[in-house]
Amino acid sequence: MYWEKELETLPEKELRQLQVNRLNITLAHARRSPFYGELFGRNGNHPESVNDVKGIESLPFTVKQQLRDHFPYGFLTLPQKEIIRLHSSSGTTGNPTVIFHNRHDIDSWANLMARSLFCAGVRDTDVFQNIVGYGLFTGGLGFQYGIEKLGALSIPAGAGNSLRQIKLMRDYGTTAIHAIPSYLTRLYDVFREEHLNPQKDTRLRLLCIGAEPHTEEQRQRIQEMFGVKAYNSFGLSEMNGPGVAFECEYQNGLHIWEDAFLVEIVNPDTLQPVPDGEFGELVMTTLDRQANPLIRYRTRDITRIIPGACPCGRTHRRIDRITGRTDDMFILKGCNIFPMQIEGVLMKIPEVGTDYRITLETVSDQDTMVIDVEIKKDCFRGDLAFLDKLQKRLTHLIRDEVLVTPVIRLVEPGSLPKAEGKAVRVYDTRKR
Amino acid sequence: MAYQVSVFLENKIGHMERITAVLKAAGINILTMNLNHTTGGWGIVNLLVDQPELAYGQLSDAGISAALRRIVVLPMEDKPGSLDGLLRKIAGAGINFTTAYGRSGRGTAWFVVDTEDIPDAETILKSAGLEILPDETVYTLD
Ligand SMILES: [Zn+2]
Repeated sequence: MYWEKELETLPEKELRQLQVNRLNITLAHARRSPFYGELFGRNGNHPESVNDVKGIESLPFTVKQQLRDHFPYGFLTLPQKEIIRLHSSSGTTGNPTVIFHNRHDIDSWANLMARSLFCAGVRDTDVFQNIVGYGLFTGGLGFQYGIEKLGALSIPAGAGNSLRQIKLMRDYGTTAIHAIPSYLTRLYDVFREEHLNPQKDTRLRLLCIGAEPHTEEQRQRIQEMFGVKAYNSFGLSEMNGPGVAFECEYQNGLHIWEDAFLVEIVNPDTLQPVPDGEFGELVMTTLDRQANPLIRYRTRDITRIIPGACPCGRTHRRIDRITGRTDDMFILKGCNIFPMQIEGVLMKIPEVGTDYRITLETVSDQDTMVIDVEIKKDCFRGDLAFLDKLQKRLTHLIRDEVLVTPVIRLVEPGSLPKAEGKAVRVYDTRKR
Repeated sequence: MAYQVSVFLENKIGHMERITAVLKAAGINILTMNLNHTTGGWGIVNLLVDQPELAYGQLSDAGISAALRRIVVLPMEDKPGSLDGLLRKIAGAGINFTTAYGRSGRGTAWFVVDTEDIPDAETILKSAGLEILPDETVYTLD
């Protein structure tokens, strides 16, 4: 039932004490890096150690820009000889962000990943096809090491080439898959084009989805398509990658592994902690990483702590699915809007297909939001009245959700440009 | 029962050609058509073709949103006043339709009415004294 029963079910008080101990070890590691060494040394009022988890609030935040500014070795605590791997962001603009691992860090990450997979029900008898990019992207090797640690048969398929993915699934009797959610809907289309039904023509029994924000409605759709449960995976490259938080069999939020990460949720404007249950920015501190510890790292992901205990018995708290990123949010006519809010509305409407695109435009000095929405081919009845009604319904539902009236454009299925990797949903062409 | 093929059409350059290319490749002949479009940037093109089931299948396979919709075709003499007379009879039968279009041939003209949403349209029109073209001649208008 558990990968590490004692750790996963550690009583609250002991878990907090473990966090304090590990935080103090982490602070000692961090001081050896040029960045934290200077930050903590220069500013004498930062404590050397803390007595309880609340003590972390006296320490400064770390932000992505600092990782970039101190590229590449500013956060490294160990001589390069000790380092066995790095993962870095693509960094199309400016310096990339890079995270280094020593052997301990890689082992720790692999174990967290194995624990995550076990938590979602993956066992050593499974055949696990990892359909994400390998290389510098953490989703490939992160899952790979976890699958191997757990002992399932891994198929390191990599991303893309849907026909080959389907062939692999059928040749080797794949029972579990990891992929980004937008890819799974595309893969399902290819199954149908090949006149195959993944529910009958594969041995799939579960899916892991992550690396891309998505809504509960999108998850439900994927589950209906493949006829199996899809478990939510959360991670970010600065916190290793995947294996930070994962859903258990109850699918009621993601257990965030608190022996490895100290979690805070803060108001992104005031940076003050918000109470459990309230949404805010996720702030994380690594508790089991030696080469590249991060203290109070602002992830820019928006989530909340789900109050209460989980029936699975794990004591590590649960975070809600990511509702957006502080930098995905856009402001239109004074309203803060997350693309996820719009996706949430669209995915509830059965006539709407899998893709949509939000374009922010300036039309005669007025900022407007145009949403291109794919209609499902099967729902088309051939009359204008039906399309008219659908368009009006979508306009009203989205206005009620985001308080701005959108312009809804219905488009043919498949006519929106397909994004490779993470789907880009928002195009801002407004005049500044 | 006779059918037209109704196709979702984005108001974009080249979109109509996507449809006609599929029909051309399948050797389908368009007998008559009409095009409705809205301010929303999309529209519907209604096609009366010689092989509606084949057209529907080919368009769907090409990923185009298409539907088969029930129609009746009413023949009339190709001379001034014919349509007026026809419309009076339809009005008299108490039928209201939203999509209709026509075609004229040698001495004869045809009026195509979308009856998908009007149950018993044929019976009502017949009892109002209108002649309805039999299915087998609908697809060979000449
Ligand atoms: Zn649980």
